[in-house]
Amino acid sequence: MIELSDINSYYGESHILHGVSLAVQDGEIVCLLGRNGAGKTTAILTIMGYLKPRNGAVCYNGRDISGLPTHAIARLGIGLVPQERGIFPSLTVRENLTVFARPGARDSSRPKDPWTLERIYRLFPRLKERESNLGFQLSGGEQQMLSIARALMLNPALLLLDEPSEGLAPTIVDEIIQILEGLKKEGLAVLLVEQNLRVALAVADRHHVLNKGEICFSGSSSDLKDNDFVLRTYLSV
Amino acid sequence: MDLFLVQLLNGLVYAMLLFLMAAGLSLIFGLMNVVSLAHGSFFMLGAYIGLSIYQITNNFWLALVLAPIPTAALGMVVEILFLRPLYRRGHLDQVLMTFGFTFVFFDLVRSIWGSNIRNMAVPEALAGAVQIGAGIYPVYRLFLIAIGLALALILWLCIERTRIGAMVRAGVDDSAMASGLGANVPLLFTGVFGVGVALAALGGVAAGPIMGLYPGMDSEVMIPAFIVIVVGGMGSLRGAFVGSVLIGMADTFGKTYVPSMALFLIYLVMAVVLLTRPQGFFGIKHMGSSGNIPPRNAVATAPTTRSRIIGAMVVAAMAIAPLFVNNHQLTLVSEIFIFAILAMSLDILLGFTGLPSMGHAAFFGLGAYAVIVLASLFNVDPWIGVAIGVLLAAAGSAFVGYFCVSATGITFLMLTLAFSQLAYSVVVKWRDVTGGSDGIGIPEKPAFFIWSLESRMVMYYMTFGFFILCYLGLRRMIASPLGHVLVGIRENEGRMLAIGHNVQGYKLLAFIISGTIAGFAGGLYALFNGFISPDAIHWSASGDILIMVMLGGGGTLIGPAIGAAIFLLMKNLVSSYSDHWMLIIGCVFIGCVLFFPEGLWGTFRRLKPVRAS
Ligand SMILES: Nc1ncnc2c1ncn2[C@@H]1O[C@H](COP(=O)(O)OP(=O)(O)OP(=O)(O)O)[C@@H](O)[C@H]1O
Ligand SMILES: [Mg+2]
Repeated sequence: MIELSDINSYYGESHILHGVSLAVQDGEIVCLLGRNGAGKTTAILTIMGYLKPRNGAVCYNGRDISGLPTHAIARLGIGLVPQERGIFPSLTVRENLTVFARPGARDSSRPKDPWTLERIYRLFPRLKERESNLGFQLSGGEQQMLSIARALMLNPALLLLDEPSEGLAPTIVDEIIQILEGLKKEGLAVLLVEQNLRVALAVADRHHVLNKGEICFSGSSSDLKDNDFVLRTYLSV
Repeated sequence: MDLFLVQLLNGLVYAMLLFLMAAGLSLIFGLMNVVSLAHGSFFMLGAYIGLSIYQITNNFWLALVLAPIPTAALGMVVEILFLRPLYRRGHLDQVLMTFGFTFVFFDLVRSIWGSNIRNMAVPEALAGAVQIGAGIYPVYRLFLIAIGLALALILWLCIERTRIGAMVRAGVDDSAMASGLGANVPLLFTGVFGVGVALAALGGVAAGPIMGLYPGMDSEVMIPAFIVIVVGGMGSLRGAFVGSVLIGMADTFGKTYVPSMALFLIYLVMAVVLLTRPQGFFGIKHMGSSGNIPPRNAVATAPTTRSRIIGAMVVAAMAIAPLFVNNHQLTLVSEIFIFAILAMSLDILLGFTGLPSMGHAAFFGLGAYAVIVLASLFNVDPWIGVAIGVLLAAAGSAFVGYFCVSATGITFLMLTLAFSQLAYSVVVKWRDVTGGSDGIGIPEKPAFFIWSLESRMVMYYMTFGFFILCYLGLRRMIASPLGHVLVGIRENEGRMLAIGHNVQGYKLLAFIISGTIAGFAGGLYALFNGFISPDAIHWSASGDILIMVMLGGGGTLIGPAIGAAIFLLMKNLVSSYSDHWMLIIGCVFIGCVLFFPEGLWGTFRRLKPVRAS
């Protein structure tokens, strides 16, 4: 599905990602872990083309997309849920959902059961209640739900989630875990950035741990659970 | 008919014209963070294109509907070819780029349609007047109100009720997020730019029959439209509407009931709004968000022996130059020295501190008017006038600076622009003292010590001497701790604040130094020219100074002096054998912004070490 190989990303002259390689296969949830400032968001921004990697390639279904403009990358079927949620404050909830909604990138990757407003409202009943509220009137949890729902309305083949559990109450985090499990059952590929180990272990198949812009651990959930050194040194568990 | 009702309707007419301008300006700013200084030019172009269509087809309605189409197409071409390449470089370059186009379009209009005022007939169907209450009122003006309200409603529905409108609003909120969801933001920019231009062009055609058409009608509506969006809040359609009505009414009623105050009233409204609500009534974006100008040129290192020698040679060449050139050239070079001082003074603010002032000519004018007004009305010695002018410029810049320095980027530009237009209005209005738009002169030039300034040679050496003094003085200041703080503010204001510098205080100081020296240059100019008119402080004069600085290279001190020389030489040489000097200057400036963002001197200086190695 998506494959980063040997990516080096910079903000101006500061070198952030040092040769990062990782891949997400069809229908798989891969988690990217790491402390504050490790470079997780930078990896997401690089995939989306906000940041052009100085070298290395980002391949989507075998095609190098690292030179494309951001909107073209999004239209290939990548749904973005950014760390700050990115809700449009002066649009209503409904408008946030529909404004850039698309039936999906290609016929072959188009899900059998496409996401529509009705289906979204069934999954997120709270959003239906707040349908005509403006974006800035939502609580943090509602914003996170809306951001995920909005990305689903693009009918993506791959979802990028940047710390969806950040700053949310445990009950809402549970809800998000449930939603991610549901998406996984549908066969959606997800690259999940997390600092919350509980979320990561609950939903992801494989994990990569980022430290100072380098991947220092890759493995399955059980590998990660057993690796005390990584947990303590790089994730401060 | 009741005077009040007439004024109410007239105010509405004016408000609707302003709205057609302001709506586009505001949407473009909201989405792209660019204040298009060329927006007035599109208004003017639309009006003239409409005039031609009207003359060919003899049908006003066709003119009204068709004229916006080619104008919008032209606007979109400008956006795609000239603004798009600058997105990465920051919004100020884009604003400067649009300023270059005001020259090009002005020249274009003047050469295609001539510089005389042209009249556009009111269409027959709307020619008469109707009975309202006890009096009559022209139908055409009622039509303007109706069309303005209708367009406002349509625009509002498009923005609020359609998906495209939602996309625009999303782009205004967060264009990076919108592109992350698949929105082609550059295309959206071009579209909105085109719609904005089309509205302005439509406004131009609609205004034709009541305003008349003339080159220069562009700034007539531009400045009030700027004030509208500042007052209403940048980026908000509702703000543009409310602001238009407020400014339209304030202006119309002001002219009737407090004629002496009329010209200032709208500036007064703006100042009050900005002081109480800096983001305007419905502002959704704080204008300051665009920040200081990004650094272009690193501060020069200490002069090397070689550069000292070259400098000394240039100075020596200038010192003996009068032996080889004719009187006319001597005068031109004297003028260049004066404007070089002026451009260097702006560089302190623009190049070194990162504050783009679009009102610098006001302080120049203050210095010049002080000399001439005092000499001609009170027989004060012109040299005392220069001293008083410098003091007035210092006081004036302290006053204006106090209001402006808390702003950055485009807000700062708009505020300084507004203040300088306020000064312009005062000068035009205060006929008894300033001679109004005719200008004012002194009968004879004074002496410089024992030498009469009637001699061009004396004038040359005097201005040359003052130029050298100012250059050395300013270079000293740049190298001093004060200069380092100013450059620090340009490069990272937050950090200067964090390490305990009084950033506002330093900015104010830079503003005052800059304004004071501009006042001195103005005083010299009064002695040189013996005459001053409001043209010298019009906002476009401030724009000329900005061009000089950018042409030569902001933040290099000598660059702006070179820029002043190039600008005046071009203006003189080109205008002596072609009427199109504005077109040529405009194109040179556009090319410069596009290809030499560091200015000619800045680029040259950067290339030098490469050559050496
Ligand atoms: N716009 C920027 N310019 C310069 N440096 C940046 C910028 N954004 C982030 N950085 C730096 O890049 C590094 C990686 O940041 P990044 O946002 O990718 O971290 P992260 O892993 O997402 O952290 P967090 O968990 O806090 O979100 C940090 O050291 C940060 O200071
Ligand atoms: Mg992050």
